[in-house]
Amino acid sequence: MSLFQKIGNIGKIFRQNGGLVGSYLKLFRTDDLKWGTLVGEDKYGNKYFQNDYYFMGRNRWVEYPLSVGHDYDASQVPPEWHRWLQYIADEPPSQLPLPKRKWMADHTENLSGTERCYVPYSTTRPKVEAWVPPKNNL
Amino acid sequence: MATNTVLRLSGTFSQPLSCLFRHQWKVTVVPVQRTFSKKTNGTGPQKTSSALVPYRNQSTDVAPAPEKKPYSPFQGPFSSKAEYALTRLDDLLNWGRKSSMWPMTFGLACCAVEMMHFAGPRYDMDRFGVVFRASPRQSDVLIVAGTLTNKMAPALRKIYDQMPEPRWVISMGSCANGGGYYHYSYAVVRGCDRVVPVDIYVPGCPPTAEALLYGVLQLQKKVKRMNTLQMWYRK
Repeated sequence: MSLFQKIGNIGKIFRQNGGLVGSYLKLFRTDDLKWGTLVGEDKYGNKYFQNDYYFMGRNRWVEYPLSVGHDYDASQVPPEWHRWLQYIADEPPSQLPLPKRKWMADHTENLSGTERCYVPYSTTRPKVEAWVPPKNNL
Repeated sequence: MATNTVLRLSGTFSQPLSCLFRHQWKVTVVPVQRTFSKKTNGTGPQKTSSALVPYRNQSTDVAPAPEKKPYSPFQGPFSSKAEYALTRLDDLLNWGRKSSMWPMTFGLACCAVEMMHFAGPRYDMDRFGVVFRASPRQSDVLIVAGTLTNKMAPALRKIYDQMPEPRWVISMGSCANGGGYYHYSYAVVRGCDRVVPVDIYVPGCPPTAEALLYGVLQLQKKVKRMNTLQMWYRK
């Protein structure tokens, strides 16, 4: 890789991320600037990129939509794209759609910390009964 | 559906993509262009096959920018200007706290090995501002990694008491969460939440370094929602 190619890559990075201002905002939000080809997009607005210039482990990545702002989370990637993103398969689901069974539930992100979070509860009677102190003892 | 089959036959668009295509249709496109693009969506977008093109009508109209989520979780209404100012100060405070969380090394068992992987170059906790401190008086987070035995419990509690406020606890692994494999042992505390209040439970036996990383990110989200100054003002 010559120096000219590296300078060309910097140009590609700035062009893909929307100029100087766009690159600055992207860097502020994701702490990373990359360039690559758009592999696909899912219904949540996540965009998936690939560039084999980067070594394996960094050559596939996801850009979360602006609608999640800074609160992006790895659980926002649906399972079929997770398959591609974590190198379980090389074919993205845009090339090789997975079979859709009717028992398959829709993907939800991790709702911990929101008002829709999971709260565990028990339906069994507690084994230990608390002692109720007698009143008007004194 | 008709559009779906057309797209599938063309071989360039995928199932999730066409879901998106159908989903965003009503939102993004005005009715005049809708008829226009319905006629041409079989032929037009095929040539320049990119994800955004079908519903952007090949750059003839600008797609509306997606709704942007603001950084701060505290979005009014505010009763006074002072409350607004304190909210923004809270944001600043939370930003500082969440981006330099120093955990106390409290490795008790094999989970500690995964905690070390988290510190290593592959998972690299340093990029989140997470740096291990060996002293409880200089740390914010206590990562309880491993089985908490009865013998260790007073030491854990003492270390927790020595940490300055605000302090958080991450319970890492099944053993720290609820006793795990050693739940029925007479020598083990059945979950470290019997001794210290826990913020984040990381499941797994042991959890991967990635899972611990995710736990730390969840804790960062939790810290971002703290409203220290606002509560002080309301009192």
